[in-house]
Amino acid sequence: MDVFKLILLVILVICALAVSLTRNLLSSIIVYMAYSLVMSVIWMLLESPDLAITEAAVGAGVTTILFFITLKKIHAIKGESTDEQAQ
Amino acid sequence: MNILEWVRFLLTAVCLLSGLFILVASVLGVYKFDYVLNRMHAAAMGDTLGIMFVLLGLIISAPDVWVIIKLVLVIVFLWVGNPVGSHLIARLEVNTNPVWAQQVRDARQEWEEGQSDGRL
Amino acid sequence: MSKRNRDWGNTLQGRFLRSMRFGCEPLDSLLVQRLDASRDESAVRALEAEDTLRELQQNERVAMARDKQVDFAQDVLEWSQSKGRKVIGRLYALLSIVICVTVIVLLMETVMNMPAFGSPAAPANNEVAARYIEKGMEETGAVNIVAGMILDYRAFDTLGESTVLYIAACAVLILLRIDRQKDGTPTQELIAEEADDRAFEPENDRILQGSAKVLTPIVLLLGIYVILNGHLSPGGGFSGGAIVGAGLILYLNAFGFARASRFFTYKTFTTVSLFSLSFYALAKTYSFYCGANGIPSGIPLGTPGAILSSGLILPLNICVGMVVACTMYVFFCLFRKGGL
Repeated sequence: MDVFKLILLVILVICALAVSLTRNLLSSIIVYMAYSLVMSVIWMLLESPDLAITEAAVGAGVTTILFFITLKKIHAIKGESTDEQAQ
Repeated sequence: MNILEWVRFLLTAVCLLSGLFILVASVLGVYKFDYVLNRMHAAAMGDTLGIMFVLLGLIISAPDVWVIIKLVLVIVFLWVGNPVGSHLIARLEVNTNPVWAQQVRDARQEWEEGQSDGRL
Repeated sequence: MSKRNRDWGNTLQGRFLRSMRFGCEPLDSLLVQRLDASRDESAVRALEAEDTLRELQQNERVAMARDKQVDFAQDVLEWSQSKGRKVIGRLYALLSIVICVTVIVLLMETVMNMPAFGSPAAPANNEVAARYIEKGMEETGAVNIVAGMILDYRAFDTLGESTVLYIAACAVLILLRIDRQKDGTPTQELIAEEADDRAFEPENDRILQGSAKVLTPIVLLLGIYVILNGHLSPGGGFSGGAIVGAGLILYLNAFGFARASRFFTYKTFTTVSLFSLSFYALAKTYSFYCGANGIPSGIPLGTPGAILSSGLILPLNICVGMVVACTMYVFFCLFRKGGL
């Protein structure tokens, strides 16, 4: 179990670094979602299922959707497709 | 450990290992392919089949009927949710990519013409 | 109106404002005019000539000063473009490294000095936590000790959290809502936004609709189960509300705004949030009033483990769940289209 926890923590740190280091906003949001999922598994291992459920529902679900819609709203996703069309 | 336990253990191990193999293959596919539809195909297939195998292994080794029911429900949920999600991604790609959009428009026009002719 | 304005202009603030705007005290300017009228014409001319001379000299001085300033600004610009950029860049890098290292060292030091995880000597393990664990079930009637804590001992905290969610939804409403015109017809902006939205909306997608028909009731049921079982099993208002909100978002995505607005409008949002929050506040005020004055509250706690038990926790959970679900759904709608 300790090895499992260690792997999860290492993945957590890698995800947290990747979120801030990724240039592409879309992929950084997806990495953030992975961070939330790993975090919810860690909450489960720390014996707080309440937090695990909330983290999985809010952190991985709703927050990600809201970030995606915001990107669409500021035309950060659409901009790429228009670039392709211009080419 | 009697023979039945051994059979159960072996079945569990085979299921888990094949599920792991499929998941690893799907991850490799996501990194290997370039185009959206190819990558999505790899990811979706790996998720659906691989998770089915992993959960099947867990079902075989489950100690309790309630655990089995919950795992079956998880499989049903994933099998409904996962293909629909990848279908939506593919649909978005087809709708927004200009290459595909032209083909879709042509196909739709053809279909409408066929319908008006009474062939379909 | 005009009279009042003139009166106001003669007050202290009015004179101050006028002097700020026109550069001199109005009384002084009146005085100057009167003096001018009393002077001789020749004296006035001499004074004017003196004035023009002084003005010329002043202009020269101003021009010289300006030249000096321009030279200095050009020097600064050149320096910042050639050498200064490098220097400032290095300064930034150095400062950021110093700040990062300082913060890391401070945090590491703090973590090193913290007591071991779960050790009985830690300051977090004081008599408060011990009382929650020992007497929590007896006093609140909730099997799930977390629900007993956040909805009974620390219920005001949760009321604040729900209110924060509601305020956040209102702020998003102010920022992102696109109004219709007075006669109800959509404005140009709304039409453009809807056209932009429709490019991404899976319109009448049979596969999505079919799966949503199967999944939405299950997701909503799971959310309601999590809310209602908050005092018995892990979960509660927040998690269950988030699940219900996710189910509503799934329904909206599958069937579009037209069908979703049949059961969820602004009125639903305001009514549900208002009634939940006010019921929460009233119930908690009552129980705190009773508790502070030592009056028995008269709310039966029931047998721990039964679904109708633990006093106020179940209705409070329902309130929190409804607020959270509505907030999630309204967030999604407003972010996506600017309206419900």
